[in-house]
Amino acid sequence: MAATEHTHGGYRLYWVTWLWLLILTIFMLGFEVLRMPRFFMVLALIVFMLVKAAFIAGNFMHLRFERLNLIVTVAVGLLITGAVLFVLIYPDGLRVLQLSRTS
Amino acid sequence: MAKSQAAEMVPESLWSGGVSPFGVSWQKLMMWIFIITDGLLFAGLLAGYGFLRLASPQWPDQTQVFYMPFIAFMTFVLITSSATMGTAVGAARQRDRRWMVRGLVLTILGGLIFLGCQAYEWTHLIHQGARLYTNPWGVPHFTACFFVLTGFHGSHVLSGVIILTITLIRTLLGKTTPEGVEIAGLYWHFVDLVWVFIFTLFYLL
Repeated sequence: MAATEHTHGGYRLYWVTWLWLLILTIFMLGFEVLRMPRFFMVLALIVFMLVKAAFIAGNFMHLRFERLNLIVTVAVGLLITGAVLFVLIYPDGLRVLQLSRTS
Repeated sequence: MAKSQAAEMVPESLWSGGVSPFGVSWQKLMMWIFIITDGLLFAGLLAGYGFLRLASPQWPDQTQVFYMPFIAFMTFVLITSSATMGTAVGAARQRDRRWMVRGLVLTILGGLIFLGCQAYEWTHLIHQGARLYTNPWGVPHFTACFFVLTGFHGSHVLSGVIILTITLIRTLLGKTTPEGVEIAGLYWHFVDLVWVFIFTLFYLL
């Protein structure tokens, strides 16, 4: 269906995506070696992780070539649920940590 | 006549969705729905890991436990297998049977190498004394998270290898359709997608 539009040029899209994923992974491993400040390292790793996920979903899974209905159903549902899970768990995790330190 | 006039007077609801609101076949839609639900399963597992990590006063330094170049190699293998799977899907769309078979064989090979690496990693850690709730690094939850997260992911890789092997056999018999290869590919790419999150959140953070 939508995927046919971009396969006429061969398999370039997949290998360009592969190259980007490889470069991003090398950068992520580099952050470990550089010993950046913890906050910036966590922020950079999460941003790079989301960019890699977008590359895989968009190009490998052809999501960016699909109808907007499907994109919204898949991406928004997963992103919001994931975000809500982490937002709800973050304060509770810290509270348990404080309780274990005080007891 | 009167019936058609009545039909014209009732406007189609904006929310009816038409014949095919997503513009994909039901098989592909079912795979996407499966991917969403399976994605939520991994989101739950990773959120559980996040909770245990935050609630633990200490956490082992992953670079001291794992040999990071080996984990990087596993990531490289999985990313490459996704590219070969993409090539197989593209070839299937173009009816290029030769590249479709090559792509599928290389992807299966990548999956087997990844599984071999994971088996080696598990064996190595178990020999070091790691168990589900005990380990030499003093944080029991650490290995519980490790075995559950990588175990679930590994079982998905194994399922993917089985699905791709069936797809390859069907391709060789001339029984598969381009969409069949694409749907198998969607599952494989999802397995790669989950690894991106596990690799970052468990091994790197």
